[in-house]
Order: sequence, then C-alpha cells, then structure tokens
Amino acid sequence: MGAMLAAAISVAGLQGALSPAFGAAEPRSVVSLNLCADELVLRLAAPGQVKSVTWLARDSRASTVAAQARDIPVNHGLAEEIVPLSPDLVIAGVYTTRMAIAFLERLGIPVMDLGVPATLEAVRAQIRQVAEALGQQVAGEAMIADLDLALADDGTAGGGERPTALVLRPNGLTAGRGSLVDTLLTRAGLVNLAAELQPDGFGRLALEEIVAAQPDILILNADPDAPPSMARSLLEHPALAGLKESATVVTVPTRLWTCAGPQLADAMTILKSAAEQARHATGNPRRAP
Amino acid sequence: MTSRVAATRLRAADIPYPLLVGALGALSAILFLVSLVVGYVPLDPVAAVSDIIAGRDSVGALVMVELRLPRALLGLMVGFSLGATGAALQGLLRNPLADPGVIGVSGAAALGAVIAFYSGLAGFLSIGLALGGLAGAGLATALLLLLARQGAGTTALILSGVAIGSLAGALTALALNLSPSPYAVMEVVFWLMGSLADRSLDHVLLAAPLMAVGWILLLGAGRALDGLSLGEETARSLGFDVMRLRLRIVVASAFAIGSAVAVAGAIGFVGLVVPHVLRPLVGHQPGPLVLVSGLGGAVLTLAADILVRVLPTHPELKLGVVTAIIGAPFLFSLLWRMRREMD
Amino acid sequence: MKIEALDVSVRAGGRTILEPVSLTIDRPGLVGLIGPNGAGKSTLMRVLAGLHPPDTGAVRYDGLTVDRIGRDVLGRRLAYLAQSGRLHWPLKVERVVALGRLPHRERPGPAADCDRAAIEAAMRATHISALRNRPASTLSGGERMRVLLARALAVDADVLLADEPIAALDPYHQLEVLDLLGDLAARGKTVVVVLHDLSLAYRYCDRLILMSGGRMLADDAPGAVLTDANLEQTYRVFAHRVRLAGEEHIVPWVRLGTVAPDEADQTGGTRPWKRT
Repeated sequence: MGAMLAAAISVAGLQGALSPAFGAAEPRSVVSLNLCADELVLRLAAPGQVKSVTWLARDSRASTVAAQARDIPVNHGLAEEIVPLSPDLVIAGVYTTRMAIAFLERLGIPVMDLGVPATLEAVRAQIRQVAEALGQQVAGEAMIADLDLALADDGTAGGGERPTALVLRPNGLTAGRGSLVDTLLTRAGLVNLAAELQPDGFGRLALEEIVAAQPDILILNADPDAPPSMARSLLEHPALAGLKESATVVTVPTRLWTCAGPQLADAMTILKSAAEQARHATGNPRRAP
Repeated sequence: MTSRVAATRLRAADIPYPLLVGALGALSAILFLVSLVVGYVPLDPVAAVSDIIAGRDSVGALVMVELRLPRALLGLMVGFSLGATGAALQGLLRNPLADPGVIGVSGAAALGAVIAFYSGLAGFLSIGLALGGLAGAGLATALLLLLARQGAGTTALILSGVAIGSLAGALTALALNLSPSPYAVMEVVFWLMGSLADRSLDHVLLAAPLMAVGWILLLGAGRALDGLSLGEETARSLGFDVMRLRLRIVVASAFAIGSAVAVAGAIGFVGLVVPHVLRPLVGHQPGPLVLVSGLGGAVLTLAADILVRVLPTHPELKLGVVTAIIGAPFLFSLLWRMRREMD
Repeated sequence: MKIEALDVSVRAGGRTILEPVSLTIDRPGLVGLIGPNGAGKSTLMRVLAGLHPPDTGAVRYDGLTVDRIGRDVLGRRLAYLAQSGRLHWPLKVERVVALGRLPHRERPGPAADCDRAAIEAAMRATHISALRNRPASTLSGGERMRVLLARALAVDADVLLADEPIAALDPYHQLEVLDLLGDLAARGKTVVVVLHDLSLAYRYCDRLILMSGGRMLADDAPGAVLTDANLEQTYRVFAHRVRLAGEEHIVPWVRLGTVAPDEADQTGGTRPWKRT
C-alpha cells in the first residue's frame, strides 16, 4: 500500500513537472471521468489525444459516441485506473467521482470540472471551454456554429400555434422551468406544461396532475431497451393509457438532451416534428401562439 | 369470525366490541371517501362520480377511477394487513414489540421483491414481484420464530429482529449493487420508505386475493391467540394446536405483509402503534385485537396517506416517513416501559 | 373419563426423566402426586394431560390416544392447571376465567348462557368474584393462583390436573383450595394434584402416587404410601404421626441420612428421637 502510494506520488511529481498549465499548450493525454465529457472530448480531440473515457461511453443506450469510444480504453471513475495513465488533463463532472478527483488533485494532476448546462448559452460556453482546454478551438467553434444553425429556427417563425408538451421521465420526474430541456421545448415551439405546474427545475409530478393537464404532446424520456426498473414501470400506468392515445407521443432518449453537444440538434429535430404532428393531429391545440 | 362475535358476549368490555368494530369501520369508510376527494388537481367528486356512472371518459372520471380509487383501496388494504399482522404477531409471541417492521419481516419482504424484480424474474406489476415479497416475508417470519422460540423474551425477539433486518438490508444492498438498472438504488431507497402514490387498479387486483388469504388466516386465529395468553401449555390443554397456530401465522404474515410490501413498499410502525393503542379497548385480549387492529391500521394508513397529500411538500412525503415519525416515539415509550424486563 | 398410562417414559437431553410408568386413573376422587423435587411429577402430569408425547408407551383416554380422541375434545374433558401460571397480558380477572370456556366455544350460539354460569360458579368457588374487574397483573401471588385455578374450573371438565396449585398460597387459601378440590372429587370429578405438603396430602387425598428419581415408588391409599420407610427413602425425612380429633396426621419433622458432622451436631439430624 505504502509502496503503491509512493509510486503514485512519484509519477504525479514527474507529471507535475512536465505538464503545462491548462490551455497553455495542447495536452497530450486527456482522461474523461464523465459521460458528458466523454462525448465532447471524443468529438473535439485530435486522434490519440484521449487516453481514456468512461465505460458508459461504449454503451450505445446511454452514449452518442459509442462508435468513437470503441477503441479507447475505458475507466470506471477510479483513481487507481487514472494515475498510471499519467494524464495531463482530467475532465470530470461536478457531481460525479468526487473522491477520485480529490485524490488526483492532491497529486497535482490538472482537473477540469464540467457543470450541468441549463441554457444554450451555457452549452456554448461549455463546448468552448472543453475545446480550449484540448487546444482544439477551431473544432469547438465549428461545433457551436453547426449547433446554432440547427437550433436557429425556433418553430414559431412559421406563425404556427404552440402545442403543449409534457416530459415524462421515469419515476414521474419531469423537466421544469430553467432546465436545458425546458429551453429546448420552448425553442421547438412548444409550451412546457411542467414549467407552469411546478416552479423548480426538476421535480416530480403526480400522475393526477399529468392526466389533468392533458398535454398535446407526451414526451417519454425513456430508453426502450433499458433493464427493468420500477421508475420506468410508472410510464405503463393505466391512467396514462388514454393520454397516450389522444396525445402525440414521442420518445426522446436521455442521451440526446442531457449533455452539451451536437446531439441536441437531433433532440430538437424530434421535438419540432412532434410539434408539427400535434398541430395537424388535433387541429385545435390548447394554446394560442 | 362468527365465533369471535359469540366470544365477545362473554366479555363485559368498557367499549362493547361490536361498537368498537363499528366505529373503526365507519372511521375507515369516512377516511376512504376523504382519500377519494383529496388530490393534486381540483376535482368535483359529484361530477366525477356521475361521469363514471354514465360511462363518460372525463378527466375527472379517469383521475377518480384510475388514480384515487386504487390509492384509497390500497390504503385500506395495506393498513388492514399491517395492523392485523402486528396484532397477531404480538399475540403469538406474547410481546408488544412484535411488529412486521421492527422484527425485520417487512425488510425481508422488500428483499424478496427486489430480487424478483431486478433479476428480471418479475415485472413491476406481476404476481412474480408479489411472490418474491411473500417468500421474503415468510422466510423472515419462520426464521424469527426459530430464533425467538418459546418464551419470546423481549431481548431474544429484538436481537432476532435486528439480525433479520440487517441481513435483509445487507442482501438488498447486494442485490442493488449487482442490478443493471441505473435507477435501482434511488428507487429502492424511496420504495423502502413506503408510498401509495400513483398506484393503479392492477396493483389492487394483484394484492387483493393474496391479502385476503392472509386476513382469513389471521382472523381465524383469534381464539387460539386468546388461549395463548396463558402460555403454550395451557393453550394446548385448551385444545389448541400451538405448532399449527405458529405455522398459520407465519403463512398469514407472509401473504399479508409480502403483498403489502410488494405494492406499497415498507410502511413501518403501523403494526406496532395500532395494536398498542387499541389493546386496552378490547381488554388486552389478543383475539379480538386482530380485527380491531386491522381496522385501526386502515384508519392510520389512510389518515397518513391523506396527510402526505395535504402537506405543502412537493414531492409529497413518503408514507413510511410519516408513520415512522408517528411511530418512533411509541417504540421508545414501549421500550422505556419494558426496560425492567430487558435487564 | 378413564386415563390409562401404559409404560410411559420420557427422556430429555440424554437423561431419563421418567422411567416407564403405568397407572390408571378411572374413578372419581382426589389423587395426590407427591415426591421430592425433580422426581418427575410435573413431567408425568404433562404426559397425562397429553401435552408431552412420551418417548415410549402411550396414554389413552377412555381407550383412545390424544390424536384419536382429538385435542379439542380432550380440551373440554380434561382441564390442566400449569405450574408456572404465567399470564402474558393484563386481562381482567373475569376474562382470564372466561378463557376456560374457549374449548366450548367452537360454534357460536346459545352456549353463552352456560358459559356465563360456569364462569360465575368458578369465581364463586375460588372466592374471586370481588376481583372480577381487576387486571390480573395487579393481583398478589395467591390471588393470581386462585384466578388461574378458577380458569381451570371454568372448563368444567371431568378431569382436572393441577400442578402445585397451593404452593403460593397462605394456609387459609391452601385449605380453601383443597376443600374445593375435595368437593369436586366428592361430586364425581377426577382431580389429580401435585402437592408438596405431606400433611395436607395425607389429610385430603383419597389416593397418593409417590414418585422419586423418575420412578413411581408407590400408588395406594395415603396411609399405605406415607410409611416411615417410603418417607426416609424418598424425602429423607422423619415424620411424626399425631392423633387429632380422632384422626391421624403426619408432620414431617427432621432430615435424615448423610449430613456433615458439624451440621448433624447442630440439628441432631441423624437422631430424630432426640427432640421428641
């Protein structure tokens, strides 16, 4: 144990001497400890620059970069896996793997924390931040430009009505005001009912409220082939059966609208087509433009 | 049950038994109706009921039939199961601390259901999940009777309960650790707190027959439990088969608690508090206490479930949290009173 | 009801508690079961009551085994008063006594009146009617014993097996209970009672069964059982025989047998005649 720790510290010491400060030069070995970070680094980094991503990145149910991650070694967020890679940049999520990050920071390894973006502005900022840290500013700006282009048309330009929508996540959770999903819904020309029913960002809605709200569009935020969970079984509740028939039901996998990245455009495409479908289906959306 | 009615004629109770049963029954009926009216969206109950009768598919009818009715029914059924099982276990072990939660039966039922669910053996709304709960509760009760046999002294009982409870907790953690679902830990932690929110009529249909088996077995054990208040030998000399009584209550607890936990999670302390409060009203007689505690359990559970919906917390408090807040002081006061026996 | 035990024996933990015993209790009367501590009296009582299956032999009730006659039927015909009468809930006295009616209440219906009569009679007989509304947990040891006896009486069975019913009672209540049991016997019931008081056993019982070390040593009329030789062999005591009001009574007086020399000096234990 002592010997191992000593070895780890000497590696870290060496690393500390050689590694440049953040963004000063292009880091040569980047490790990601968070799925959102995986997606950005795998898209932005130069070949060979990424030494390790999380094991989740290879799971096509959760990740949009499963193909790119296939040849990259994976980690499980454990410090022991990271130290031998001698990374000169570690990118992590603010809320995950805190013990490993505290250890890496003690060893002097530069760590960059990524927050959870709630607005498109924050999405752009995060892409920019990661791109700069990787020394890939050009790729970053290109990604932002593509995303802006895809999101530019906010769906209300055509003067269409704004159908109401409700996002239903496992366990009755929904996407309230101020969340990234709320931003996307508004951009897609939809009215996010959850934001009206509930003031806080993420909350749980009683099925009663969902049934009574009678949304035009029911957006199921669930991954169809996920392992069994009680949370998901709530979506099978018979009280929702009628709503599933009368409303336009679409499924948006979690991986499309949780992290900053170009996949947000795919989520937007689904939402926009759902909005269009709802306008035609009901002919009489409950909300005026 | 008829024999119990006859038995009551012999007892000059302070509150006549039929009156007590009637009052508790009426109270649970009232709370059942209140439970139908209380909810998260304003709803005209009269309009909703007339929609239901007329077969109109209104939102009110939907909310009433698909959401509030199952919730109220489950409150009634789960509460009755918890109260009656608590009273019967206390009568069998002749110890007022025997509660399905305190002695680890609920935890074991949860373990059984968790294993059945996350191993993919059972869907959430399936007989498999309930059977998992049944198996867990049955094993735990049998193990408890094995550990705390005969005298069922308080120390032996509590130690057995702690052992079973922590074993069930550890194995549940193991099952969650091995579960492939990312939601597993959070949802089971919440599930273990107990809730009746957003249940469906399917849950009611799943639990009702199983619980009914448990109730029939429990209510039929009243005479033998009365006899047991003079100890096992005397009970046997009065013509009761104590071994069969034990088996009967193990099976009954498994059915009642296993299915209650499968549909509502672990709602603690109801089986402890209710018999404790109602026991003096039946003159401390364990037999009549079973039915009375069942009704009392329904009253407490329905009331607690109404309370969580009326309180301005959002998301609502878990039912088990509320019953625990009510129940924990009772447990302490009971232990305080029994401390001499513990020494 | 005729109770026959044929070669019944009980072993527990590799030790023989009851050597093969055969006895028949077939006529009304007060039968005393006596013997020193650990003689196997309680075990024999429980075997006779059908509560402990013997390892060998069998007990028959009117020729039938427990299983054949049915435990519920036996519950109505044979009442058993346990030695450690523990009461687990603070029931009122009247309700404790009412528990004796449980075997009769399998079916609902007009039984209630005769139940009530039996309960009242049992409470009157044991003089506890005044205690009827007291929680049994608040009674003194003696009162409690009488309540439990009343519970056994309320069964109104042909046979009553009572394990040390007077051990916790004062002389007044000891005599009261034995008078009561004697009355029952005179009215045609069979009463088997474990006793430690040899004077009272001698005086009240019609028949005595003497046990020692798991063996039955004698089964006869009291005078034939409580001989000097039997008393010395089993109890290791010497008893005086005194004549009072025209009847003979026996009074255990001194210990006999091996005692330490210094103790013998103080008590004169080996020389019973010295103190007469």
